[in-house]
This record gives sequence, structure tokens and C-alpha cells, in this order.
Amino acid sequence: MNYEITLLTTMAISVIFALSLNLITGFCGQISLGHAAFQGVGAYAAAMLAKAGWPFFATLPVAMLLAGALGVVVGMASLRVREDFLAITTMGVVFLFVGVVRQQDWLGGELGLSAIPDHGLGKTGFMGVTLLACVAVALLSIHIRRTWMGRVFNGIAEDEDTMRVLGIDVPRYKLAAFAIGTALAGLSGAFYAYHLQFIGAENFGFIESITVLSMVVFGGIGSVAWVLIAAALLSALPAWFQVIGDYKLLVYGGLLFVMMRFSPGGMAALARRLFNPMATREGKS
Amino acid sequence: MKSLPPFAPKLLAAAVALALPVGAAWADIKIGFNVPSTGFAAADGKSALDGAKLAVAEANAKGGIAGEKLELVVYDDQASPKEAVPAVTKMIEKDKVVVGVSGSYSGSTRAAASIFQKAQVPYVVAYAIHPDITLAGDYMFRVSAMGEVQGRGGAKLVQNLGKKNVVVITVKNDFGQSLAAGFKEGASELSLKIINEYEYGMADRQFGPLVSKVKADNPEVIYASGYYFNAGPLVSQLRAAGVTVPIIGQEGYDSEKFVDIAGPASEGTLITTSLDRDSDSTVTQTFLANFRKATGVGADMVAASSYTATSVAIEGLRKTGGKGGEALKNALASGTYDTPIGKLAFNDLHEVQKNLQVQIVKDKAFHRHSVISDAVLLAPPSKPK
Amino acid sequence: MLFIELIAQGLVQGSIYALIALGLTLVYGLLRILHVAHAALFTLGAYVGVLVCNASGSLAVAFVCAAVVAGIAGVLMYRLAYQPLLSQPPFVALIASIGLYIAAEEAFRIVFGAQGLSFTQPSLQGQVTLGGLQFKQAELMVMIGTVAIIAVLAWLQSRTRVGVACQATVSDPQMAESFGISLRQVRDINFFIGSALAGFAGVWVALLNNLVEPTMGSVPSYKALAIIVLGGLGSVPGTLAAALVLGVVEAFGTIYLGQLLDRNAIAFAFLIAVLMVRPQGLFARR
Repeated sequence: MNYEITLLTTMAISVIFALSLNLITGFCGQISLGHAAFQGVGAYAAAMLAKAGWPFFATLPVAMLLAGALGVVVGMASLRVREDFLAITTMGVVFLFVGVVRQQDWLGGELGLSAIPDHGLGKTGFMGVTLLACVAVALLSIHIRRTWMGRVFNGIAEDEDTMRVLGIDVPRYKLAAFAIGTALAGLSGAFYAYHLQFIGAENFGFIESITVLSMVVFGGIGSVAWVLIAAALLSALPAWFQVIGDYKLLVYGGLLFVMMRFSPGGMAALARRLFNPMATREGKS
Repeated sequence: MKSLPPFAPKLLAAAVALALPVGAAWADIKIGFNVPSTGFAAADGKSALDGAKLAVAEANAKGGIAGEKLELVVYDDQASPKEAVPAVTKMIEKDKVVVGVSGSYSGSTRAAASIFQKAQVPYVVAYAIHPDITLAGDYMFRVSAMGEVQGRGGAKLVQNLGKKNVVVITVKNDFGQSLAAGFKEGASELSLKIINEYEYGMADRQFGPLVSKVKADNPEVIYASGYYFNAGPLVSQLRAAGVTVPIIGQEGYDSEKFVDIAGPASEGTLITTSLDRDSDSTVTQTFLANFRKATGVGADMVAASSYTATSVAIEGLRKTGGKGGEALKNALASGTYDTPIGKLAFNDLHEVQKNLQVQIVKDKAFHRHSVISDAVLLAPPSKPK
Repeated sequence: MLFIELIAQGLVQGSIYALIALGLTLVYGLLRILHVAHAALFTLGAYVGVLVCNASGSLAVAFVCAAVVAGIAGVLMYRLAYQPLLSQPPFVALIASIGLYIAAEEAFRIVFGAQGLSFTQPSLQGQVTLGGLQFKQAELMVMIGTVAIIAVLAWLQSRTRVGVACQATVSDPQMAESFGISLRQVRDINFFIGSALAGFAGVWVALLNNLVEPTMGSVPSYKALAIIVLGGLGSVPGTLAAALVLGVVEAFGTIYLGQLLDRNAIAFAFLIAVLMVRPQGLFARR
């Protein structure tokens, strides 16, 4: 059973990570190519606190807070630039994160942080916690979307200028999106640290950021259910694909390309076409 | 209540045995192997896999163990802890491997180590140098010298060459960092002078600014860590800029590709490593010959250490008749092994103590230069109290 | 002396960045797509260059083959991947491009091996001394070559009909079309030139390092993205300047800030710093 439990836990952590990016990119239309940095902040925060003797549940809020704080800083930077510039800026953030962390001996330097203490919940217990968190984040995403904040996020994604004209404090909402999304990424990072009990700076770099963005886009930006499914599937893919071993990444790249080429709205759009060919395109999942 | 006929249990057992897939009836002895076949470390992954496969093939050609064949169960971990964890869990749980061998880098191996330890399945590590791996528990074994040990050996080599002023160039990862740490430790013990230290990223191939600065530093010798894809360009560019002083590398350079890339500039480069190409040992020469026959290319350090780790695991299995668990752990711990990378024995932390080979590039190939055998300097760490 | 040397080294590196970034900026200027897969053409050029040179012994032939093959591959990428996605939001093309790049990298590894290829007889390795500075012949040539190419391109863009047509399609595609300019043709040409340049750069890098690896495009891919943003998207002279500046910044940064940050972090720290002060990039046109 251990294998299945480990796999489910890994999937749950990836889903939380993907949903957190979905909030920023999907709901708010801000493309982030550096989301892994926030997961990294959460992971390192939790790891350091755990090694200092803090209990598992106490490390989680700190991880979220620190990640969210960095998110606000990056969010403020995003206010000065638009669209494609933002993508590159977020890319810069993740490179800076990795570049700085790997030089800090107190954070483990190149050797990373190992022997992260056990969470004390047992394998099944931990899986339960991550699955619960996963569901909570999904519900939170849906809730945000339905409330006023969600509608503003949507408006910003569709047409930022009009929103400004309407008198909406666009910057504040953008910042809110970044704060929530990055804090949740920090949560996934904390789980990650406890799950693997070993972290290194290079585990939270550009490639990981691209990977999680791909999950969101593959699922269908904005769609909570399909991003969840896509993240769950894609994170387990390497495990299932051991059979094709050598061709794993080739298939992965090919899949991404084919999906974008033939269904840019991701799995969500595919599902819509399959199950509801007559309906007009709505922003719902 | 009617009781079952006496032969019922036997019948049931037979039915179950028949229902299982054929392979399971003749259960091979499974050796788990995690290796980066894809991803940024794929080059080393290929070497490691070739080395391990050779060891298994040779053992099977000799009849296997107690009449059963050995099977190498390979998982690609992309040198990532995140991939290694499920792979290794599956290896232990589903494939039921009796021993694990790591052909991968430190990050993934470290993550895998705790899982093997918890499951009480011995794990023999080929070339990952992170100190915490053996600290994960007594089911861990490492067949190569740790970074710090090699680094100290490098300092001794500088002294042997009669030099004093060194520039240290370090590749930014755990391998480079531990080598540098060991070198600096040795340097202070041996009163060497480190003029300057520089670092570069593993993905770097162009070292223009670095070369200019090093030239300006004018050292007597350069201690540079890196893999063949860093070292090849680095050495070539240093020589091209007119830097003629000796360059000392380590086992990361230990590959024919280094000579291919740097060409004539590679002549005279010294490396501290575990593989002695000019060794008198039949084990080493047989390995080198067989490896070339099987793959068409010369063996490098990664292949040699993976071959060794797998052979050590197989030797242990020979002693226990194919069983794993505590018996295997004890068998491994108490054994002595004659391997291509030297005569090995494990200390209480299951690290190895062995001489450091110094090779030099001459006529486009690695040859023996000298051997460093200072037991105190090269002592691996032992179990913390 | 060291100071001058570092600048020279920075310019060499910058020239290579410029060759790669140029193709990217041409594509971005035209289509607003972040063409990450561009780096795969760089790698493709390198492989073709080494294979052709090792087989034929002629570096010149290798250069031509590499540029042509990369150019054609680039046009194919446009036709098969980007053209159908023009009406979609930009991130779609970005992710498609990323998928394409990953697949390409893996294809190189599977076909050519993970260990990489080298020249059997690398040329242009000789030393040249210029004003007290030592260069490899290849280093000097790549700098001269880049400046020459960019000068020619800039001239083409403003003086020839094709060049003006290109500019028109960027500013106002519909208007351009109504004037009889074939959008298709212009885009094909842009992709061909940009991709050929990347392939050309690939051979230079192969020559400088004497190593071609499947992953060699990764670092240039995102550095080039940073450069085109720095230079002001779509501006050819801006891209050249930004590339050279970044090369020099990296040269000094890796030596003096090396203990603090790694090379990529330095490049991006510089980029972020500039964008905070000048959000439109260093040399934006508009």
C-alpha cells in the first residue's frame, strides 16, 4: 500500500501547487513563469522550522505567510510591467531565488536540507492531510470565483483597462491574487518538504515552474476541476510511464504541444466539446 | 460440518501457483537500480546503467546465485528527489527487490536512502557523495570516496608536486562544494596558499571572464572541479589563453569525452580518481576490456563505480544465497571486495577507505601518474558517537 | 588590463546571445509570440554543423548547411505550430513552444546520445593577439560576424522593399495586406532568417566549446527572452545592444559577484533592476 499512498500524496501536493497557480494565472490572467520560487520559500521555511523542533502543523501557517509575503513583493513588481514582461520578470524571480538560496550555507547551500524530521502522522495520516488540503484549496478556488473578487479577477483577465475605467482598484486585486496564490504554493512547499524529507534549491527552479504552468494550461486555465485532474494525471505520469522509460519526456513534450495545438483551452475545452457541443463558451468548469 | 479432504491444502496451493504469472514461479533475484536516464544528468545515467548491466550480465553468465538469475530492475529518477521517492517505493513494495543500487546523483539518492532504510533493504551507492546518505542508517553502503576525502587528497597532490599557490575553481553543486571543502581543509593542514576561489554553474561552458581572472592571479597550480562537459571546455580555454600551470581535476573529468573535447589541451591534466587505467589488477583490466566490448566506448568513473556497487551487492547476495534483509546487511558490512576501483572494505559508517589514484592525460588517454595512500588524510568519516 | 579583457569576453558572449536573440525578436516583433522553441533550432544548427564538418572537413559548408537546415525547420515550426494558434491568447503559443522544445531536446538525446558530439578537428582554434588581448580566432570571428550580420539586417529592414514590408506587417498587418504585401511570405522570411541565425550561432558555440549537447539550448533560450525584453521588444538595434550589455554585465558579475549569485541569477537580477527603472526596456522604440 505504501506505493499507492506515496503516489497519492505526491499527486495531492502537485494539485495544490497547480490550483494555486490557477488562481493567479487563471483567474487573474497574470502569467507567472516563476511559481516554483514560492513553493520553495514554503518548503525551506517548513524545513528550517521542523529542524528547529517546531511541530508539523505549526510550520504550515509560517510557510504560507512567508510565501505570500514574497508573493506580494513580486505582485508589486508586476504592477509596473504588463503581460509578456511579467512572464519574464517572474522567470527572473525564480532564477534569483535558486541563485541566492544555493549560496546560503545556513540554508544548506548546494547540499540542501536533509533529515527533515518526520511529521508524526504516519504515511496514511499525512496523505489524509494533503488530500484534505487539496479539497479545501479546490473549494476555496471555486468560492473565490463565485464571489465578487472572482468576478473582478475575471474582469482584469479579460480587459484590464476597462476595469480601471470602471473605478476598480486593479492593483489591489492583482496583489490579492498574488498573495493568495503564492501563499497556497507555500503550503504545497511545506508538504513537499515533509514528504521527501530532503530539499535542494534546484528543486524549485525554472523547469518546475514551467511544469506547473503546463499542468494549468493543459487542464484549461481557470477551470478548477480540470486543472485538478490534469495536475493529478501529469504528476503521476512519470511513474506510469516507466514502461516507456527513455521516451518519457519526449511523450510529455509531445502531449503538451498536441494539446495546445488542437485544444488550446485544455482538457476543459475538450470536455466541453465532447459533452456539450451545442453550448456556447462559458467561463465555467 | 464436513471437513476438507486431506489433500485440499496441497490442491489449493497448486491452484494458486498455477494462477500466478509464470515468471513469479521462478522468481529471479531482483536488484533495484535508480538512475537518471532522462533529464539533465542523462549522460551520467547512461554510463551508470551500462556499468550496472555489465555486472549483472557477468554474474548471470557465471550461473547466477544458487541457480537463480539476477534481474536488474531499472527506474529512471531524472536525478530528482521527487521522482526518486515513488520509484524507489515501488521498487521495494511491488518489485520486491532484495537490494538497491544507486546509479544516481546525491539529491535523489538522499531521498531514496531513508526509504530503503525504513524498509530495511540494503542500498549500495555508486557515486553520490552527499555525506548524509550513509548517515541515513546502517542499511546504507557507499563504494566511492566522499567529496571531502578526495578534496583532501587533491591538496596532498599539490604538495607532492612541490607547489604552494593554488587557485580553486568550483562547480556549483554538492559535488563541487564538498570537493572544495575537503581541499581547503587539506590545504590548511599542508600550509598551501589559496590565492583565489571561483565558482561556476554546472550549465556553463564558456569561461572567458574566469580564464582572464585566473591568468591575472598567476597561480602555480589550479584545482578545478567539474564534469567532463565543464572541464573539457574549461581546460581548453585556459590553455588557449596561455595558462600553462598544472591543472588538477577529479573523477568528474574521468571520461574519454574529456579528451575528445579538449583535444591537445587535455595533455598533462591530472585527476584524482578511483579508476587506474594502468592497473595491474586483473579485475580492473577485465572490467575495462569487457565494458569496451559491451558498449563500444571506454569506461568512465561513473560506469566503474556503478559496476562496482552492483558487484558488491551481488557478492553480498552470494553469501546469503539470494536473501535480503538483515542477513544481507551483515554480509555486505563484513565483506572485502576486489573491484575495478580498488580493494574495498566498509568501516562502521559503511564508507570505504582506499587509496586515491592520480591519473594524467598522456597521448590522448588517462594513465597512472601516482597513488596517494596517506591513510590519515584519506580517512572517511566514521559513525558519529 | 583585466578590465579590458573582461569587457572583451563579455562582448564575445554578447555576440552569441545577440545572434540567438535576434531571431526571437524578429518573431516577437511580428507575432507577439514567445518562441521558446527557437533554442531548439540553435541546437539543431550545432548538431548539423558538427556532423557536416566532421564528414566533409569543411567548416564553411557546415555553416551553410546548419543555417539552411535551421531556417527551414524554423519555417516549418511556424507553419505547423504557430500559424494555427495566432488567434489564441499568447500563453497558448508559449506552452506549445515549451512542449515543442522539450520534445526536441529529447529527440536530440535519443538520436545523438546524451554524451554529446565534438569536432574531430576543430578549426579556428588558433590564438590571435589584438592590442595586448588574446583571442581564439573563433571568438574574434563571431564578434565581427555578428556586427556584420546585424548591420546588414538593419540596412535591409530600412532600405529594401522586403524590409519595409516586414516593418509594415508589424505595425499594421491589415493595412499591409491591403497594399498587396503577402503576410505569409513576410512571416516565412522572418522565421527563416531568424532561425538560420540561431543555427549559425549554434555552430559558433560548438566551435568555441567543442561540445554539442542535447541540452545546450536551455540556457540561451531563457537568456534570449530576457534580452529581447531588455532591448525593447521587436527592436533589432535594441536587441543587439541589450545582448552586448548583458554579456559584459555577466562577465563582470560572474567574477565579482560569483560567491553571491550564480550566472543566471546575475543576468536576471540585472533585467529586473532595469525593468523597475524603465519598464519598457532599455531601448524601446515606442
